[in-house]
Amino acid sequence: MLIALRTDLPSWLWPRAAYIHVPFCAHKCGYCDFASVAGFDHLADRYLSALEREMGMTLGQPAVVDTIFVGGGTPTRLDPDQLERLMAKIAHWFPLTKGGEWTVEANPGTLDVAKVELLVQAGVNRVSLGAQSFRPALLAALERNHAPEEVERAVELVRGRFPRWSLDLIFGIPGSTLADCEADVAAALALGPSHLSCYGLVYEKGTNLWKQWQAGQVVPVDEETERAMYETVIDRLALSGLSMYEISNYARPGHESRHNLVYWANDAYFGVGLGAASYVDGVRSVNTRDLAAYLRRIEAGEPATGPTERLDAEARARETAMLMLRRTVLGIDRNDYELRTGYSLDGLLGPALARFVDQGLLEDDGQRLRFSREGRFLADRVLCELV
Amino acid sequence: MAFDPKYIRDFSIVAHIDHGKSTLADQLLLQSGAITQREFREQLLDDMDLERERGITIKARAVAINYTLDGQVYELNLIDTPGHVDFHYEVSRSLAACEGAILLVDATQGVQAQTVANAFLAVGNDLTIVPVLNKIDMQAARPEEIKEEIMHTLGIDPAEILAVSAKTGQGVPDVFRTIIDRVPPPSGNPSGPLRALIFDSKFDDYQGVITYVRVVDGALKVGQKIRLMAGGTDHEVTGLGQFRPREIACDELGVGQVGYVIANLKQLSDVRIGDTITQVPGAAEIPLEGYHEPVQVVFCGLFPASHNQFDDLRTALQKLALNDSSFSFEPETSDALGFGFRCGFLGMLHMEIVQQRLERESNLALVQTAPNVTYEIVTRKGETLHISNPTRIPDPGDIEEFREPIAKVNFILPADCIGAIMQLCEDRRGVFIKTEYLSPTRAILTYELPLAEMIYDLYDKLKSATRGYGTMDYELIGYRAGDLCRLDIVVAGQKVDALSVVVHRAHADRRGRKLVRKLKGEIDRHQFEVAIQAAIGSRVIARETISALRKNVTAKCYGGDITRKRKLLEKQKEGKKRMKQVGNVEISQDAFLSVLDDTDD
Ligand SMILES: Nc1nc2c(ncn2[C@@H]2O[C@H](COP(=O)(O)OP(=O)(O)OP(=O)(O)O)[C@@H](O)[C@H]2O)c(=O)[nH]1
Ligand code: SF4
Ligand SMILES: [Mg+2]
Repeated sequence: MLIALRTDLPSWLWPRAAYIHVPFCAHKCGYCDFASVAGFDHLADRYLSALEREMGMTLGQPAVVDTIFVGGGTPTRLDPDQLERLMAKIAHWFPLTKGGEWTVEANPGTLDVAKVELLVQAGVNRVSLGAQSFRPALLAALERNHAPEEVERAVELVRGRFPRWSLDLIFGIPGSTLADCEADVAAALALGPSHLSCYGLVYEKGTNLWKQWQAGQVVPVDEETERAMYETVIDRLALSGLSMYEISNYARPGHESRHNLVYWANDAYFGVGLGAASYVDGVRSVNTRDLAAYLRRIEAGEPATGPTERLDAEARARETAMLMLRRTVLGIDRNDYELRTGYSLDGLLGPALARFVDQGLLEDDGQRLRFSREGRFLADRVLCELV
Repeated sequence: MAFDPKYIRDFSIVAHIDHGKSTLADQLLLQSGAITQREFREQLLDDMDLERERGITIKARAVAINYTLDGQVYELNLIDTPGHVDFHYEVSRSLAACEGAILLVDATQGVQAQTVANAFLAVGNDLTIVPVLNKIDMQAARPEEIKEEIMHTLGIDPAEILAVSAKTGQGVPDVFRTIIDRVPPPSGNPSGPLRALIFDSKFDDYQGVITYVRVVDGALKVGQKIRLMAGGTDHEVTGLGQFRPREIACDELGVGQVGYVIANLKQLSDVRIGDTITQVPGAAEIPLEGYHEPVQVVFCGLFPASHNQFDDLRTALQKLALNDSSFSFEPETSDALGFGFRCGFLGMLHMEIVQQRLERESNLALVQTAPNVTYEIVTRKGETLHISNPTRIPDPGDIEEFREPIAKVNFILPADCIGAIMQLCEDRRGVFIKTEYLSPTRAILTYELPLAEMIYDLYDKLKSATRGYGTMDYELIGYRAGDLCRLDIVVAGQKVDALSVVVHRAHADRRGRKLVRKLKGEIDRHQFEVAIQAAIGSRVIARETISALRKNVTAKCYGGDITRKRKLLEKQKEGKKRMKQVGNVEISQDAFLSVLDDTDD
């Protein structure tokens, strides 16, 4: 599907952001429901060719973007030649504006000096490292196959070579205590990241962890403890200058992930690769998550998209509110909202928002609405009434 | 020219539920040529969505067909009626518009509770009964045995009983012949002043109220001026027609004919089911007998889920009442639920159907409170009150006598299940009346039971205790004093009127404990702790606490997750649609209904 370049359109219709997916992993982690596969590295070259082809088919000509995010899977699982080839193709199809952000996800144990150098050469300026935990028992519970020391080693490789880098952490892992969580946060902070993504564990349907939970082999952390963990994360990070800017994201001022902010502004984005989602000109579509089908379809010159969805204006406006509120600092700015959606925030959602302000879950300064501290813990109670 | 009444036959098909009335109606339509094989579909007359989804008839449906016998064309007006006990009133209204009734009996199931009830109803209306055994194509059919049963219970000569398969059409020509031979033609006076009985109606957005009538005397003509006798309003007939089975317009309906009348009736309240249409000038003096008001046995509050839809609900109720005259409604105000209506129904299924029709036909979301029966209370001051809303029950100190409705219940069941059902009735404060045997293996068991002990779930219990073979029928026989009290529910310090229930004092503690436990499971957690208490008067008999919600947040939402996350949130929102805010606690529809559920968990 060839789309005409429409750079005259505003950022919520025409993408200034690109997501590229690389599905290969060394092994499948227990909690993972991403489009990732283990044991298919032999298909990597074919996959890269398909990616190139998909970029060509969808774009027709290079599209300038402000942010690129190469995620997975584990992009750095590719061998150096493959990685170099991928970076070159991305740079060709998605020329980055000056000062743009280019992130690559990496897993501990998959990085080495050569790969780091080649990423730097390609123009990558941000790396996101999947640490998840520094406690061996908790890594085991997640079925991660790296050791805590490998995170430190990866950080050593990354630090100084990229202006920005981030760590991923997970709390609420079965078997963990508040003390574990505190220790993980401390260990992460000790490495000096300027950005942290810190999630409460989700038991995604179909994952190994979910099956264990269903079978009663795994007991989730109780809600009170989980809440305490979340509070610890927020407060400890804030003390160290990493302030919460989204439900699960923390950064030093100016170090926020610009690419992810695109999602929470409900802006448009391109997506290529297995299971990748795109949002172009008001249409959301998602590629198939089946690797064989993806390859087959792209190689046959067909798009790999599955179901697409175009929301009507009101539904899109509601969705925008739901996404924007996730931004704990920016929240929803009334003027910005109206400009982007064509709806007055109060006209569309006034009574519901007022009720939540009343209940102390939202704060309203007249211009902006954002979650109160309490509201962050009960965000879904609010968000579900906005959609 | 109207059809010569001599060649008209008006009859209903009545039977126990599922004995094949609608299927037989299909065959009568098909074999008379009213529909072609191509137009045929099973239970064609069950054209309401709810009827097709549930596979049962809810509304009686009238159809006119022509049938030629020995060279003479006859017009047959048949009414397919519902079999479920809750729709008994539909049957009684249909029978009042007929001279005959086909009494259908499933040849595998035999005589069941509604077979007996409907047969008595037909006899009470002086109708000619044409007994027909159905489903004789089935392996399990036992025609000879069942004929015996029919003779034994209804006193019908086995030689008179026809045998058919409504499925294959076998034996159906005999049904036509017997109807024509045995059912008398309508006996009204063609030249007398017009009298037509309104037996049903429906609301049409364009044409107003369309009435369904049977002409008893005189004739209805397009262009004629008519009067609705009860309200005395005059109108002009702009359209007439018959159901064949589709609406086919005609110019005139004469004696014995059944059809619809369009007369620009915009005022919903002008039309009453059971009213008589006459002509002006030359109006008839005496209206037709009309119908007895049905007695509603279960009541519940219906409230719009969003409080600004009260007027929409009122309109929806008025419209539906045109098509179902057997439920009642009157405005009610609840502290907890705001403005709504207290509605009365003929049974639990009827309640469910009315609620679903209201929601579907008028696009409303409703919150329903737990059903209850009507109580009779004699106060210390000597007044006698009839109360169908537990909140209205006076304080215990003001009650002299608390009476509850009693039903006489007939069970027809396999003889080896008698013990189990007797136990069930004893547990429910029943009084044994008698047992009779229909055959060595089947019996009729009669009990007097408090209505409140039978109406909600006894039918289901009976079905499971008898492997589906037991059936039941009941009639109200009056009120009896009982040791009853009102159990109130207090949520977060506030009494929730809509959750009050009436219970027997001996069971009050157990019910109270169970109720608060149920509610604990049904009420969502809030930002704060919510205490739930059960109380009789000011005495708290049970208490549970719902802990506060501490964390409810979807951790991740990136590009690929947005659609999925939005859908999950939409689902959560959907669940909240039927929530009512009581004080600062949200209570779900399920919670309101859970107070009824007496099953152990
Ligand atoms: N084998 C067989 N099945 C039949 C016959 N007549 C009806 N049935 C089946 O019995 C079931 C009930 O038939 P209906 O015609 O809906 O029964 P009903 O008496 O109209 O039911 P209600 O209106 O709900 O009281 C359906 O599954 C029919 O297909 C018959 O003669 N033979
Ligand atoms: S490394 Fe990441 S993408 Fe790969 S299996 Fe583990 S969690 Fe999934
Ligand atoms: Mg039927």
